[in-house]
Amino acid sequence: MSGSERIPLSRREGGSKVLPELASILYQFGTNAAFLLLSALGLIVILGMMNIINLAHGEFMMLGAYVASFAVHRGIPFPLAVILAFFATGAFGIVLERLVIRRFYGRELGALVTTWGISLILAQGALLLFGPYMPPIPIPGGAVSEGVFSFSVYWLILIGISIVLVVALTLVYRATPFGLQARATMQNPSIARSLGIRTGRVYMLTFGLGAGLAGLSGALLAPATSIAPFMGQQFVAPAFITVVVGGGANVIAGAVGSSTFLSLIETPVSLTLGTFYGTMALLVMALLIIRVLPAGISSLGARLRPAVAR
Amino acid sequence: MMRMLQLLNGPHDLGRGRGFWSGMVLLAAAFLAYPTIASSFSATNVAYYLLNIPMALGLSLLWGYGGVLSFGQVAFYGIAGYTYGIVAGNLQDFAWGTEAGVLAALLAAGLSAAAFGYFLFYGRVAAWIVPILTLVLALLLATFLGLTAGYQWRVGDIQLGGYNGMTGIPALQIGGLTFQDYAFFYLVVAIVAICYVALRIWVNAHRGQVLMAIREDVLRTELLGYDVRLEQLRVFVIASVLAGVSGLLYVQWGNYITPSAMGLQQAALPVIWVAVGGRDSLLAVAIATFLLNQLTYILSSGGNQSALVIVGALLVAVMMFAPEGIIAGLGRLHWLHWLRARRRAVPSGPASSGK
Repeated sequence: MSGSERIPLSRREGGSKVLPELASILYQFGTNAAFLLLSALGLIVILGMMNIINLAHGEFMMLGAYVASFAVHRGIPFPLAVILAFFATGAFGIVLERLVIRRFYGRELGALVTTWGISLILAQGALLLFGPYMPPIPIPGGAVSEGVFSFSVYWLILIGISIVLVVALTLVYRATPFGLQARATMQNPSIARSLGIRTGRVYMLTFGLGAGLAGLSGALLAPATSIAPFMGQQFVAPAFITVVVGGGANVIAGAVGSSTFLSLIETPVSLTLGTFYGTMALLVMALLIIRVLPAGISSLGARLRPAVAR
Repeated sequence: MMRMLQLLNGPHDLGRGRGFWSGMVLLAAAFLAYPTIASSFSATNVAYYLLNIPMALGLSLLWGYGGVLSFGQVAFYGIAGYTYGIVAGNLQDFAWGTEAGVLAALLAAGLSAAAFGYFLFYGRVAAWIVPILTLVLALLLATFLGLTAGYQWRVGDIQLGGYNGMTGIPALQIGGLTFQDYAFFYLVVAIVAICYVALRIWVNAHRGQVLMAIREDVLRTELLGYDVRLEQLRVFVIASVLAGVSGLLYVQWGNYITPSAMGLQQAALPVIWVAVGGRDSLLAVAIATFLLNQLTYILSSGGNQSALVIVGALLVAVMMFAPEGIIAGLGRLHWLHWLRARRRAVPSGPASSGK
């Protein structure tokens, strides 16, 4: 199931298997990298900060897509619906953090198991409450044709949004008081606390940010997929592999490095053999990477310059 | 032999002593006597509730005793089930075809676990990576087998069958005996009993002690001269072969297997059984597996859509309020009272000063 619904437009319509021109190849890399980055960003933000893997990540994306679908079909423009999905899912994440997650700091396996329970409740609960399908969101923007190739405008926008998100996250972590406190907490929670940083609040906001990013990605990817209770499952394999390969040592470097690297592997494989084998190649890559770099690509930077203040 | 019995009675599970083992023998006798009062339909149902116990015991060994969590035990369950279906199905004309299937299935589960586990454990990855990657393995296997619809996807005479799965898997035959109905029930009871006894001996023996030492402190165990990577890989393979045993029993039970046996929801179930039972007690896990299988079977056969919500909520509640597990918690409570009563009765008991 994973990824079977995100056949980029050029392959769906063009049928051009023979002519891999530069633009088309770049477009394929771009869409794959954007997909991986969007599906993993919220997860990696939470992991890097709190050393917690949120197994309900896919269901948070589902919630975002549901909110967007509700909003769009009540006449709210799609961009606004996406922003709404970010805040709604983020708020939900904050509530969940206060009620459940904060009991599991320092017990990473316990957190994994608990968030899995939450994901079961959310997915099956959405099925019981809203039925098997939500009204789909039409893909905004059409396609631009360039010779035999056609590019979906929406996926081009998504590539742009991924870059904007990375820049925005960098700014949040580098240039805001919250970012400073978050980095301090990440480096050494007890010293951060003794300096007066309310680490509990930092954790809460980070979990909210991660959940919100998951909801945002879910809403953004919603037009390209069918919106259903178990839609989160298709993001599980790509998102978790991206996080494993990226590692949590440096959130942004991990997410960007991992999604770029993996899309370089995935794109040629899925172009020649099909989407499933592309995902399979991701798993094989992840196994090879952890054998060499157990803490992921983001630990590479720390290894190369050990003396720089970190 | 005496040594084995001592190990069996060892401290690393709930229940010790003459009273406890008399109870266990009575329980086993009750299971063996059950077919005399039950129809073959209900005996087969009870066998179904029991057949997942080896997989759950394996996960308990891995997670509760070894501190290594796997979310993908169903992958090896499925690998064993499919391998048995392929091998036994192709060798139907031979008297030893189903035995060869069993052997091939267990080998496939063990070897695939060894290969996959090599990358996980010899990379010395962080604790959260093992469950994540095993889960991805199970999901990708399920996805792959879902794609295998059509005549071109066959091994020998056997079609893999895509989402509809593999059907008509032959039942195990030894000599003239086919393990169906009551015979299948006895087979399941015997295998569950053997798995429990063997694992209880294992955790109380030297290897089990090393395993628990790794759970408590990897570095110290390593400094004592044990190869942590090898020990973890070994227990991962054992757990996966046990998952394979359950997969084998499952295809005996229904004579079919579908990719959803490895899907996300199935993958959650072993974790739920083990967490609810109490991961560091084999007995508690076995009891919880039996009861929860019964619960989900009854819930879902009644067409109740909320079964997953209920077990999910149960899992969250247990992790939050009873992280030791419900059954193990109850068991410890009981045995503590019993111990205290005994100590009061015999005040000069040998070294009764626990921590």
